[in-house]
Amino acid sequence: MPDKSKKGQAHQIEGGGASRLKTLGSKVWYFFNSLKLTLTVLISLAVMSVLGTVVEQNQPIASYAAKYGAAWTKLIVYMRVYDMYHSWWFLLLLVMLTLNIVVCTFERFPPKWKSLLNHKKDKFDPKLIDRLSNGRTFIVEATAVSVRQRVQEVFKKKGYKVMTFDEAGGYGVYAWKGIIGRFGSDFTHISLLLILIGSMLGTAYGYKGYKDLNVGSVMDSPSGDYKLRLDKFWIDYYDSGQIRQYNSVLTVIEDGKEVLTKQIWVNEPLYYKGTRFYQSNYGAAWDKIEQAYLALYRKGADKSEKPFTVKWGESAAVPGTRYSVKLTGYAADFYYDEKTRAMGSISADPNNPVVLVEVWEGKKPVSSSLLFQKYPGIFPAIPGSNYDLAFVNYRPTLFSGLSINNDPGTNVVWAGSIVMGLGFVFAFFVYHRRVWVFVAASGEGEWDVKLGGMINKNQLIFDRELKDIAGFISTGKFRS
Amino acid sequence: MKMIMSLMFFTFSFSFYFVAAFFYLGFWVFKKKWLGQCATALAYITLLSTTMVLVSRAAESGHAPFSNLYESMVLFVWAINLGYLVMEYRHKFKVIGAFVMTIEFVAMLSASLLPYKFKSAEPLNPALQSKWNWLVDLLRHAGLEKYAIGWLDFHVFTTFVGYAAFAISFGLSIMYMLKDRSERRGAQGAFVAAVPDAYTLDELGYRAIAWGFPFLSVGIVSGAVWANYAWGTYWSWDPKETWSLVTWLIYAAYLHARVTRGWRGRRAAILSLIGFIAVIFLYWGVSFVLPGLHAYA
Ligand code: HEM
Repeated sequence: MPDKSKKGQAHQIEGGGASRLKTLGSKVWYFFNSLKLTLTVLISLAVMSVLGTVVEQNQPIASYAAKYGAAWTKLIVYMRVYDMYHSWWFLLLLVMLTLNIVVCTFERFPPKWKSLLNHKKDKFDPKLIDRLSNGRTFIVEATAVSVRQRVQEVFKKKGYKVMTFDEAGGYGVYAWKGIIGRFGSDFTHISLLLILIGSMLGTAYGYKGYKDLNVGSVMDSPSGDYKLRLDKFWIDYYDSGQIRQYNSVLTVIEDGKEVLTKQIWVNEPLYYKGTRFYQSNYGAAWDKIEQAYLALYRKGADKSEKPFTVKWGESAAVPGTRYSVKLTGYAADFYYDEKTRAMGSISADPNNPVVLVEVWEGKKPVSSSLLFQKYPGIFPAIPGSNYDLAFVNYRPTLFSGLSINNDPGTNVVWAGSIVMGLGFVFAFFVYHRRVWVFVAASGEGEWDVKLGGMINKNQLIFDRELKDIAGFISTGKFRS
Repeated sequence: MKMIMSLMFFTFSFSFYFVAAFFYLGFWVFKKKWLGQCATALAYITLLSTTMVLVSRAAESGHAPFSNLYESMVLFVWAINLGYLVMEYRHKFKVIGAFVMTIEFVAMLSASLLPYKFKSAEPLNPALQSKWNWLVDLLRHAGLEKYAIGWLDFHVFTTFVGYAAFAISFGLSIMYMLKDRSERRGAQGAFVAAVPDAYTLDELGYRAIAWGFPFLSVGIVSGAVWANYAWGTYWSWDPKETWSLVTWLIYAAYLHARVTRGWRGRRAAILSLIGFIAVIFLYWGVSFVLPGLHAYA
C-alpha cells in the first residue's frame, strides 16, 4: 500500500489546489493507518498516565512549588500536568487513538471481511496442503464409502462445516469453523469508539452537582421540573460502634404530587428521569437544631431541675413556673461582630453552640437571651427573677449531602463495554480453523489422504486436533 | 471474630503447597511417573483446601472474602493454582508445577506473615457494601440474603483472576528466556532440558495473556460500574484506576505487537515482563506508595 499512495501523490501534485488538499488528506490518512502509531500511542498513554499518578493531581499550585521548585512548577503549570488527564496533549493522544482506530477500521478490515465472506469460493488446491507446515499424508486401508463417511463424521463431531469437491482421481474436503473469531478484534475496536464517544458525551452534556439538604427541606432538581424532599436521614452502626451505612429517604415531588419515595444509601442512589442522587455526605446544620434540652435553676439551689425539651420554633412551658420559652435561634460556633453587632456562626462545627430563646410570662414577653452550652449563666435568661435557664444539650438537625449526577454518556459507555466483552470472547476464545483434506485412491482398498489446516491462533491445540482428525480418518475412532 | 476454620484450612493449604512443590521437583529430577501423579493430586487437594480458606473466611466474616490484603493474597494464590491446573490438564506439562507450587508456597508464607491489620476481617464500611438487589431478593426466599454479593465482589474477583493469568504468563516468559538462551547455545542443563520447548512456552505465555486481558478488562469495567454507584462517577483517575489502565494499555500493546507486528519470543517476553511489573505495582505499590481511594485491591 505505501507504494500505491506515493504514486498517487506524484500524479496529483500536478493537479493543483483541490488535489493538493487531497494529497494532504491521503498523507494524514496514511499516517493514521499505521500500526506503529498504535503501539506508540498506547505506550505514550501508559507512560503519561503513570506521570499523572506520580505528580499528584489538582493540588493548589503552591504545593507543587514547595515540592518541585519554581522551575519545575512553571513547566507543570504550562503543560497542565497538575490536571493532566484534561490537558490538551493528553486529549490529543486520545484523539489520535480514535483516528487510528477509525482509519484502521476503514482501511484494513474490509479486505479481511471480504475474504472471510468469500472463503467458500476459494479454489480447492490439493497442492496447498503440502505447503502447510502441519500438512501430512497417510495411507488408509478401508472401503471407499467408509473413508468418505469418516471424513464427514469427524468434522461433524468436531463442529466443523464442510464442503466437498469431487475432482479427477479423488475428492477434496474443505472444513471450517469459528469464523466469528476473526471479527472479535473489530468488535473490540468499535467498542472502544463507543466508550470514547460515551465519555465525550458525558464531558459535553453531563451535569455534576452537590447539595446539602436538611431533613424536611425541599430542593429543585437540576432541570427544574421536579422537586426532591429529604424525609429522613440516619446512620446505621455495627455493634462495635463502626458506621455501617448512611441512609436518606427521599421523595420526588412533581406538579405538587408525591410520585416516588425511596431510601438511598451509599451504593444505592435514587434514579429519576436521567438524574442520579447519591448519598455522599452528611452533617449537622450550623444554624438550626431539632430540639434543645433546657434546665431550670432556682437561685440558691445547688442543682438544676430535670431538663425539659423545647422544639425548634415552638414554645414549651417551663415546668414549675409561670414562664414559657420559645426557641428562635441557634449557632454552632458562636460569633459576634462588635462593630456591626451581627451574630452568627464562624464555622459549621459545634465548637461553641448557643441558642437564642424568648421567655414569656403568659402573653407577655419577658426577655430574649443567648444561652451558651459551654458557659452557663453568663447572661441571665430571665433578668430580675429568681430563675435562670441552662442550655444542657440539643439534638442536631442533620443534613444529608447529595451528589447529583446526570451523565447521558454512561449508557453508551456500558454498551461499549458489553460489545468489548463480546469482542474478547470472539477474539480470544473462538479460533478460526480451516482444514483441507484430499483423498485419492492409491491401490486396492487403499487411500492416500492428505490433510492440513490453518488456525489464526492457538497453534498448540490445533496440532493436537489435526492429529485427532487424522487418527479418526485412519481408524474410524478417536484415540482416547 | 473467630477464625478457626479458615486458619485451619490456611495451614493445610500452606503445608500442601510445600509438599506439592517437593513432589513436582522430585518428578522433574527423577522423572518417575508416580511422583508426577502424586504431585498433581496434591495440587488438586491444595486447590480444594484453598477454596475452603475462602469459603470459611466468607462464612466467618459474613461477606465475600476479598476485603483485605490477606484475603486478596489467598484469592491470588487460588486463581494461580486453578489456572495452572487448567494448563497442566490441557497441555500435559508437569515440570512447570515445580515453579508454580514454590511461588504459591512463598505467597502463602508472606500472606501469613502480614501484620494483623491487613488480616483481620473488619466489617465493611459503607462504600464497600455493594450488593445486587436482584440477588438479595432471590436469596431472601431461602433466608440467605446475607450472602448476596455485588459489583465490588465481582470486580475484585475478576481483577484477581486477571492478575493470576498475568502472573502465569510472567513465569512462562522467564522460562522462555532461559530456555531460549540455552536452546541457542545448544547446551542445555538437565533442568532446562526438561521444560517444554521455547516455541511452546512463548505460545502458552500468550494464551495466559489472552485470558488475563479480558479478565482485567471485565475487572476494570465492573469497578467502573461500582464506582458509578458508590461515588457517582464511573471514572475519576484515582491512582489505582489509572494504574489499572496503564497495565491494560501495556498488555494491549503486547497483543498488537504480537498479532499485527509479529513480535514473538524475546521481544514479546520482555513486554510481558514489563506488564507484570505494572501488575505488581498495581496490586501492592499503589496502595502503599500513592494516595487514593482504594484501600488494597
Ligand atoms: C486501546 C486500544 C486498543 C485495544 C484495547 C485493542 C484491542 C485489540 C484486540 C483485543 C485485538 C485482538 C488481539 C488478538 O487476537 O490477540 C486487536 C487486534 C488488532 N488491532 Fe487493536 N485494539 C486497540 C487499538 C487499535 C488501533 C488504534 C488499531 C489501529 C491500527 C488497532 C489495530 C488492530 C489490528 C490490525 C488487529 C489485528 C486484527 C485481526 O487480526 O483481526 N488496534 N486489537
